[in-house]
Amino acid sequence: MYMSTKDGILDINTADLSMLQLSDSFFPTGMYSMSNGLEAIFYGGKKMKAQELREFVATLLQFQIGPADCRALGNAYENAAKSNVDRLVEVDRTVFSMKLVKEIREASTRSGTQLVRCIRSFSDDKILCKYQEAIKSGQASGLYPVALAVAANAFSIPKEKTALIMMYSFSVSIVGAALRLGMLQHFDGQKIIDDLKPTIMMVIKENINKPLESIWQFAPSIDIIQISHERMNSKMFIT
Amino acid sequence: MIMTIEKRIPRLGIGGPVGSGKTMLIEKIVPLLSAKGYKAGIISNDVVSREDADRMRRNLATQQGLLSEELVIGLATGGCPHTAVREDPSMNLSVIEEMESKYGYLDLIIIESGGDNITTTFSPALADYFIYIIDVSGGDKYPRKRGLGIETCDLLVINKIDLAPHVGADLAIMERDAKEVRGDKPYVLVNSMTGQGIEQVTEHIIRDILFEAAPKTLAKT
Repeated sequence: MYMSTKDGILDINTADLSMLQLSDSFFPTGMYSMSNGLEAIFYGGKKMKAQELREFVATLLQFQIGPADCRALGNAYENAAKSNVDRLVEVDRTVFSMKLVKEIREASTRSGTQLVRCIRSFSDDKILCKYQEAIKSGQASGLYPVALAVAANAFSIPKEKTALIMMYSFSVSIVGAALRLGMLQHFDGQKIIDDLKPTIMMVIKENINKPLESIWQFAPSIDIIQISHERMNSKMFIT
Repeated sequence: MIMTIEKRIPRLGIGGPVGSGKTMLIEKIVPLLSAKGYKAGIISNDVVSREDADRMRRNLATQQGLLSEELVIGLATGGCPHTAVREDPSMNLSVIEEMESKYGYLDLIIIESGGDNITTTFSPALADYFIYIIDVSGGDKYPRKRGLGIETCDLLVINKIDLAPHVGADLAIMERDAKEVRGDKPYVLVNSMTGQGIEQVTEHIIRDILFEAAPKTLAKT
């Protein structure tokens, strides 16, 4: 729905509001409890400077989230728009297979499943219902990028902006974890998010329209860090 | 449209400050529930470790055999214990749904919050019944200071009552203030170490959450 005035049409609509809603850290997906391996680095004794943290997030975006989650999101969105549930399930299964680390895989699955559940409490969107049924029956796992794409399609949020939600939320969750671990001051966190904007834009541009068959992820050193987090006895974060 | 959950298992939330005795309360009520045939699963939201979950698993599952080891699950809360049980309980809800689909025979799921401050409450989407536990060593002013946890919980448990004379806490003042702050809502004085008061807490659970339904596994036979 566009808002009109006497002078014409304002360039805002409810999809913009939905975009804000889904990207707000207040939206219940549990992302505040994920550090994506940062906690393992912290307790490993590494003193990270703000610049190094920015590079850590950028690496995750370029080599894990971009080629895997962002490509999955683009494909999931297209198939949700075409009401092609079979293909949507295929995207879900493909991105599931990209998540090599159990903690990361479970966190994405739990976030996505709860996102679908939340949106379903106030939306009867047909494809969202079918995707939820696929999750319930075990055909799909409910990973976050797929769930987000389906929800965004239901709210008429454009595909590229949906990718922005995911990349932004992901970056904020890691920077938030750094703040709670005491690695940064609060202004430093905002500067890192600002510095990451060109990377986020570039990663979306490179990945959002790529076919499902081209999906990949390759960040072995980060995989190892994330695996070592699974073995930590004492931790604040799920990942 | 509100989604309904199939085979929903009743959920008990237990919150309270760090060191107030949440874990030990669970360790004491589960055997009493088990003796009556009720089977429980446990989710422990630890703030910085898996220690509480590991301890309960070792005690209740490995040593006492009251439940299987996979029914005690530790969950990290990203340093935000109140968020995990109130504003954004999505991770807890996911684990609960997994438990419900795998272990439908459970009569009760107990969710222990991470140790937090006196404003802790549980999201109604997460817990059907909320026990808030404090202990006397925080001083007899605790109930009077209010806080959402103390005021709104379904059952207030005041623990470590044996320590009252040693820390200068007056139990009569705590009882008086609990009544004043909570009106008709119940409270129980407890010494988890000796088991004093635990039977009363268990009775509240069976009556007010389980509605005195027969244990599922016994009802089937």
